[in-house]
Amino acid sequence: MKRILSIVRREMTSYANSPAAYIFVLFFLVFCSVWFFFVRNFFARGDVSLREFFAVMPAVFTILVPALTMRLWAEEKRQGTYELLATMPFSEGELVAGKFMATMTLIAMATALTLPVPLLVSMFGQIDPGQVAGEYLGVLFMAAACASVGQFVSSAAGNQISAFIFTALALLCLTLLNQLNVWLSLPAPVANALNYASINFHFESFVSGVVDTRDVGYFSLLSVLFLYLTAKELKMRKWR
Amino acid sequence: MIEAVDLMKRYGDYEAVKGVSFTVGTGRIVGLLGPNGAGKTTVMRILTGYHWPSAGSATLDGFDIVENPFEVKRRVGYLPENAPLYPDLTVSEFLSFAASSRGLEGASGKEAVGKSVEACGLATVFHVPIEKLSKGFRQRVGLAQAILHDPDILILDEPTSGLDPNQILEIRALIRALGEKKTVILCTHILQEAEALCADVLIMNEGRIVAAGATGTIGDALKGEERFELTLKADAGRVRSAFSSLRAVRPTGDIENAGPGAVRIRLAAPLSLAAKDGYQGGPAEDVFDWAVSGGFKILEMRRECLSLEEIFVKLTTEEKQP
Repeated sequence: MKRILSIVRREMTSYANSPAAYIFVLFFLVFCSVWFFFVRNFFARGDVSLREFFAVMPAVFTILVPALTMRLWAEEKRQGTYELLATMPFSEGELVAGKFMATMTLIAMATALTLPVPLLVSMFGQIDPGQVAGEYLGVLFMAAACASVGQFVSSAAGNQISAFIFTALALLCLTLLNQLNVWLSLPAPVANALNYASINFHFESFVSGVVDTRDVGYFSLLSVLFLYLTAKELKMRKWR
Repeated sequence: MIEAVDLMKRYGDYEAVKGVSFTVGTGRIVGLLGPNGAGKTTVMRILTGYHWPSAGSATLDGFDIVENPFEVKRRVGYLPENAPLYPDLTVSEFLSFAASSRGLEGASGKEAVGKSVEACGLATVFHVPIEKLSKGFRQRVGLAQAILHDPDILILDEPTSGLDPNQILEIRALIRALGEKKTVILCTHILQEAEALCADVLIMNEGRIVAAGATGTIGDALKGEERFELTLKADAGRVRSAFSSLRAVRPTGDIENAGPGAVRIRLAAPLSLAAKDGYQGGPAEDVFDWAVSGGFKILEMRRECLSLEEIFVKLTTEEKQP
């Protein structure tokens, strides 16, 4: 655990030194607020609900999380520092966990900075604290899944740019998968499968304030799977 | 203590290392020499657990690199080629990361960082971001990171590249001091460095070890003969006619003029001479006796040694011919 924390600390120092992290936090806060208050016109709607605020987050994460995760492994490869990391007494699992925790810390900080939004909304009417808590929990679970996919792509990609593009594409597909059901009328089993594989579908139930174990399970599964694949990818490098 | 047995490494179809075996004892500095692409870096990467070998095995202080990579990594300090570092961190941040990755936290971490900063002369740049450092300083940060946890085994890939002559001397002195208690493998292009630092050398070419031995005597087998250069106070014609009385030793090359009344000649004797029956003394005595019997005054007599550089060139270029 101590070794994982030393990775987390190093990654956080790199985030603190890089403009990408600040741009991420700033863009995240500004975009979500502008979307909620002005584009979706919160004040004119007279509907005291945070649904619109959270509903946009899958789309935002699709673009922003790849920006955070693209450098994780691609940059180590470019700088040659992977050789240093790989020859220090870390296991691949520890390296992956450390980087994942660092990304999640940053996302959690950015998410915490949106707390004034529900506070502001609560001044205009009654909101359910339990529902808001569930929505925030959903954001973190979804972010974990996105960060894992991003970390895996960064480990497999040759450079940061392709890591960004492929992560964004993968997340876009995962997010919009259930939209196919809107456009096409597919047989029920296929439609259900598409829904089940879609980030948006699972996140929507969090948005309505329901914390369902199936949704928690989906995001956890996605996170564990891609973190595992990343560690596997790193181990495979030793044979090449 | 490092023991490598039949290490092989294949990258796709390309065989980078084709069966390398060697042993390095504690308290030895061993130089790993060879032209670019000889497989030196690959051998180092296998020993440090960065790559698995395709075949063969290696143990470091008794721990197998594949079975027990964690124990191996704890005992090894590694300076990779070109000293890769995180450019956005300061020297201080980077070294404390290296310390905590080795389980050195708090006071013991600070102490370890302090020691290696002093040993590598980094005090003046301690709070400078690594991207702002010169090549020489980066190299020293890489070395500081490698010796931070006082490892038993040091594996250094070109530790003095990019340093100025004074820094090179400092770093060499440091490596020499470290080599007294530790096992050190030093990979280098600079042959004088191997001559100055290493007790033994391994010369690699095209994935194989083509020569191994003590730095001083590795050339003997290659020379195939012992060579002498003499400056005599004598007349060239008389020396030439005296050549016929040479027995085991024979002249090579021409008689050169070496100032007024002096000539320079070169003589050679096969190395296997001493083993032959009835041969007393050595070729050097023969040469001396011959000069005395001819009445030539010896102004200078030198036994030629093959320098590491000559050995290197000989081994690594001849091998290429079909």
